[in-house]
Amino acid sequence: MSRRAPWGVLLIALAMFGSASHAEPAHAAEPAQAAGQAQDTRQTQAGYSAPALYNLANAYARAGKPGLAVLNYERARLLEPNDPDIEANLHHVREASGLPPESPGRLQSLTGFASPRTFAWVGILGLAVAGVSALARRLYPRHRRKLLAAILAGISLLGVTIASAITLWPIMHEAVVITQAAPVRVSPVPIEEPIFVLPEASMVEMSAEHDGFVLIRTKAGRTGWAQRANLAPIIPKH
Amino acid sequence: VPTRHWRAVIAAIAIAIVAAATASAAALSIDATIEPAQIEVGESARLTIFTSGGGTLSVPLPVVSGLEFRVVGQSRQIQMINGRTIESTSTIIRVTPDQAGVFTIPGLTPTSPPLVLRVNPSNGSSSRYGNGASPGQTPLLPGGSLPNGIHLTPDGSAFVHLEMPKHEIYVGESVPVEIQVGMRDGFVASINGLPKLNSGDFTLNNLSRQPERAPKTIDGKAFTVYTWRSLLAAVKPGTYSLAFETPLTVRVRTRPQRDSMLDDLLGDPFLQNFFGATIPKDVTVSSPEAAIKVLPLPTEGRPPDFGGAVGTFKVSTDISSAKNTAGDPLTLRMHVHGAGNFDRVESSMLGGDAQWKTYEPKATFNSTDPLGYRGEKIFEQPLIASQPGTQTIPPLNFSYFDPGARRYETARSAPLTVTVAPPADSLANEPPPNAAGAAADEAHSGLRPDHAVTEARVDSLIPAYFQPRFLGFSSVLALLFGGGWVALRRRERDALDTQRQRERARAQLTQTLLDKMSAASAAGDAAVFLNSARSALQQTLGARWQLAPEEISEALVDARIEDADREDIRQIFALADEANYSGDDVKAADFERWTQIVGRHLGEEKAS
Repeated sequence: MSRRAPWGVLLIALAMFGSASHAEPAHAAEPAQAAGQAQDTRQTQAGYSAPALYNLANAYARAGKPGLAVLNYERARLLEPNDPDIEANLHHVREASGLPPESPGRLQSLTGFASPRTFAWVGILGLAVAGVSALARRLYPRHRRKLLAAILAGISLLGVTIASAITLWPIMHEAVVITQAAPVRVSPVPIEEPIFVLPEASMVEMSAEHDGFVLIRTKAGRTGWAQRANLAPIIPKH
Repeated sequence: VPTRHWRAVIAAIAIAIVAAATASAAALSIDATIEPAQIEVGESARLTIFTSGGGTLSVPLPVVSGLEFRVVGQSRQIQMINGRTIESTSTIIRVTPDQAGVFTIPGLTPTSPPLVLRVNPSNGSSSRYGNGASPGQTPLLPGGSLPNGIHLTPDGSAFVHLEMPKHEIYVGESVPVEIQVGMRDGFVASINGLPKLNSGDFTLNNLSRQPERAPKTIDGKAFTVYTWRSLLAAVKPGTYSLAFETPLTVRVRTRPQRDSMLDDLLGDPFLQNFFGATIPKDVTVSSPEAAIKVLPLPTEGRPPDFGGAVGTFKVSTDISSAKNTAGDPLTLRMHVHGAGNFDRVESSMLGGDAQWKTYEPKATFNSTDPLGYRGEKIFEQPLIASQPGTQTIPPLNFSYFDPGARRYETARSAPLTVTVAPPADSLANEPPPNAAGAAADEAHSGLRPDHAVTEARVDSLIPAYFQPRFLGFSSVLALLFGGGWVALRRRERDALDTQRQRERARAQLTQTLLDKMSAASAAGDAAVFLNSARSALQQTLGARWQLAPEEISEALVDARIEDADREDIRQIFALADEANYSGDDVKAADFERWTQIVGRHLGEEKAS
């Protein structure tokens, strides 16, 4: 293998990633699987942007629909985690709905300074730096110490990305109550008496699904089955 | 005079002695009777032995297989008739058979006739004590009616009393009744079952399993009264006589009371039982028959939805939530509370229509008394609103027959109003509000302004590092780097292996040359010796200087070696050439010296 081979490999990999990104619109143009999620469908076709989601959330808030407002604020915050307007309006709508303020975790605070997309590129960069440095260390033994430092730097960047992924993993399964009230039952059948009712705009963690019902868990740890139509996942699965 | 007086006294004493001697010499008579001569198993007969005469006779108890004899009393009487002393004794013996049959009791004296006792099998395990019925056994106590309406059994040991609030009821109507069973303390051994109705035209519901127990003094006698409560209902109209029966085990006296002096003396039941005056016997005690008139429910004015409820009831309704979403279920509850036959209280609740989708209701009954006569029956019906808006749940009706008012009644609940929001699907499908033209309302005046929308958009909200393409790309990249690293490492290892192989081959060749030198030295072959020595040195120096062995020449040795060995190595190279071309021999002593020089250089190589 030539000494220049690793750089060639890196260039080929970057070219592959670039071609995959260009192919994305065709994937995004697929019809939404979830019936009734017309908003998601519209946005999927048009793409998501933080300002558009923020403006949409503001419109829902003004229209007196805090559930949909909180849903879109949360989505906008995913794309722009440092936008103070999103944070302020989300806090305002939650407070107006009588919901307790959210307290971000320590890891979330540490990884909240950039968007997940930025962290993804940082992770790729870290992987590339660590990999190239590891190869160069074999080829240039005289620069072993400098290259070891570069490897550690690349691994650190990769670690930041992994921490961000760990922080965001729960959001993959979170949903917002978009109706005035979402009754929660012991079992996924509609004729059961509700054990408690979720207020609009409250956030829950979703797990199993069965026959139009979702097994949810509240922040307080209460569990039960809520109708799928009463909830909207923060991250649409499509 | 005194002499004559003493003579008279002496004569009287003599007469008395003669009389006494005559009395003692009189014959004793013994007689025995048994009553009754015919009994049943479980009953006892009375054997009375009379003795009469001038002395006391000890009569032994007879011994008959299958009969038990037990002395229960004895009386003694002394009479003076015509100067004769006559002593009469009467001994009462209880005879209890173990089995049925004809038993012969032998005569107590050789001249007295035997007695015969016939014992029939029992014609039933229990006797019936009812109102005015005559018992088979002698009563312990006087029975009869008491002023408070209680009728004791003929033996006075127990009573059954039915307490009813009214004696005219309707078909299906539930009437709470009390059944009291009183037991004279010490005379009733046990209650062997629950009170039972003597009529199939009535039903007894919710009879309490455990009766209430209370002491009670009736007519100066201590009783223990057990009280059961139940709901009585008539099956069909008519006039009936109703009574209750209860199986008991009572203690029955085994002989007529008039003959029992001991029983009269021992009035305490415990002492009587201790002395064996009673035996246990299973009996069934009945209450006095009560006349009940059962009226049919009138057909006039009967509501179409009447389901057989008889009593007094009230109705109310409520809903689980006054605000809801279309498609989301609600629970409509109807509360029927009051007193009556709740087992016949039924309702179909709300029927389905365009506004409400209804499900089968379910009912639960919460009783406020142990009988289930008073309480509340709750019907729960799931409803689903079909349309958004303000919906009204119509009033619910419940029809029943009021026996007090003697007519049918219909209770009606108040209507309920429910605000139904549009379903979630329509919310999601609803177009977003016009953001540009929307004026902030007062509740949301604290919202920060909208942002300018840019063209920068992402295709998915799923974070990039959770997307398959990112994971695939990073995995490929990691694999490529890993593969490159492994390839480089393997190349280095291969190079190292080649060098080691070369050194191993050179060492092997050097050893061969040394062996050849030794052989040539031993054979005195100078040409072979010197050529081998030169080749060994070329191998060694070539490895040291990273050159091919053929390139090692005298000139190179001159240039690179500076110590004393340089001349020796040069000389070896020169002599080897000479030996090859001139054929001059080398002295034996020189072989040894050249061998040492070559060996020293090889040793330096090994050391390095």
